[in-house]
Amino acid sequence: MSFGNIFGAWVSVFLTLAILSYLYKDNPFYKVAEHIYVGVSAAYWGTIAFWNQVWPNLFGRLWPYVDDQSTLSKFNQFWYKIYNGLHWFSHNVFPENGIPGDQQQNLWYIIAFFLGLFMLARLIPSINWLGRWSLAYVVGMAAGLRIYGFMSSNVIAQIHGSLLPLWGESLGTVINNLVLIVGTVTGLFYFFFSVEHKGIFGKISRVGIHFLMISFGASFGFAVMGRISLLIGRFNKLIEYSHKQYGYATLILLVAMVATLLILNLKKTEEVTE
Amino acid sequence: MSKFLENLGSIDRRYIFLIIAIVVFLPLIFPLGLPVEPTNLTIDAFNAVDNIPKNEKVLVSFDYGPSTKPEIHPMAIAVLRHLFTKGNRVIITCLWPDGLFMARQALQQVAIEEFDLTYGVDYCNLGYRPGNEAVIKGITRSFPANFTVDSRAIKIKEIPLMDGVQSLKNIGFIFSLSAGYPGSKEWVQYASDPLKIKTSTGVTSIQVNEILPFVKSGQLQGIVAGMPGAAEYEQLLVNNDIHPVIGKAGKSMDAQSIAHLVIVLFIVIGNISYFVKRKKEKKY
Repeated sequence: MSFGNIFGAWVSVFLTLAILSYLYKDNPFYKVAEHIYVGVSAAYWGTIAFWNQVWPNLFGRLWPYVDDQSTLSKFNQFWYKIYNGLHWFSHNVFPENGIPGDQQQNLWYIIAFFLGLFMLARLIPSINWLGRWSLAYVVGMAAGLRIYGFMSSNVIAQIHGSLLPLWGESLGTVINNLVLIVGTVTGLFYFFFSVEHKGIFGKISRVGIHFLMISFGASFGFAVMGRISLLIGRFNKLIEYSHKQYGYATLILLVAMVATLLILNLKKTEEVTE
Repeated sequence: MSKFLENLGSIDRRYIFLIIAIVVFLPLIFPLGLPVEPTNLTIDAFNAVDNIPKNEKVLVSFDYGPSTKPEIHPMAIAVLRHLFTKGNRVIITCLWPDGLFMARQALQQVAIEEFDLTYGVDYCNLGYRPGNEAVIKGITRSFPANFTVDSRAIKIKEIPLMDGVQSLKNIGFIFSLSAGYPGSKEWVQYASDPLKIKTSTGVTSIQVNEILPFVKSGQLQGIVAGMPGAAEYEQLLVNNDIHPVIGKAGKSMDAQSIAHLVIVLFIVIGNISYFVKRKKEKKY
């Protein structure tokens, strides 16, 4: 067992127990774990976004790797002079002669580059209005991209899927289909707000509410199931790390943390008494 | 008695946490061996994978991370075992950055240690690409335009398995291992429905209600739902002589079942306590 694995196990056990300690009450262990989580998450997502998105997809398309800059067109020789400036600024981020990979040059990405800069302009109050252009692009692109998929799969295919036979099948299937159709129709009635929910309309929408309640209950059940599964996952790891090869990490840290929390609690009680 | 029942409703919640911790912990140390009966939804997903023709290329998408590993990873292992036993070749993509590490772990265990398969011939890992559903939309038109290199920085055109795979149209089946967005829903919306590619999925428990309508309408071929779904899939592998023993999910089901029983008990006690209290309040 390498030192890295053992150290990783100790860190993992400490963070797991520290987060779980919140179930007792807010305490310094939980605070430490919470702050580490926020910091590591921000750094992780920042790094992932830059090296997987900005670097290969933006810089990689603006300045793809070339063997020899002198063979480029006049415009591209000028264009790569800008890159050489960036290369001078950071050799690691902007390696010599362009971004390695298999990308083709695509100068339309200069628009994306400026839209990205505009987004950062939101940090400067005098020009923060430029950020609206970037947001407008994101909203428009996302709406356009999603509307087809949503209409096709979530609306049309679902309507098609609810056109079910009510005879000619086994009794169980017919009952299932009936429940599904009644649930769909009454649920839709409940979300129809142009008519007051009174009389026959009110009764139908009330049936819809009951179907929704059952659906929420099922969601709650699944949520509990999921959370217990995750708890099992953590407990499995805690059990694994309690073995000798990991230096009894779980047992030692559990005892140390419980003892510390008890001492802190005692001190606080004494302070209150005084 | 009524006083006792009334007090139960206002018990310190930390006792409940402690009881849950004990009932989850004990069955992991002392397994009970409760039976796992596969349900129709898992059987449908198993049959969909089982009916994929031999040698067909299958795309498995790892769209989850360490936070949902206990639920999804066992099904990833089980599905890969099933596919490799059948002789299917697997192309892996990741819409989540952490999915890359999950895929590497699963491939190390199944493809390398258990099946001793050849990278690039029997399976390949194209890795993570940012862009969520735009990546799916992109590979419906062209793989090379979206994945120039794989997760080992090997050029796509140099991977034998990718010969003849220009787009998703050349893929026989998609299996999405999903913990949220982007995941199963996006695979249905942008790949499975437009290209009519058979697709199945394994999802976290919390997603089941959201994804189930796609199964009922036939847009997805079955669903492996959370850890119990993974345990059922493992049991089906055992029942069909594909793998000799159940995996991690199956071994954890005792703890899951006992915890559910205790939670149901708490809900019943909580309700009794509420009604006793309400009756008393009405009385005075």
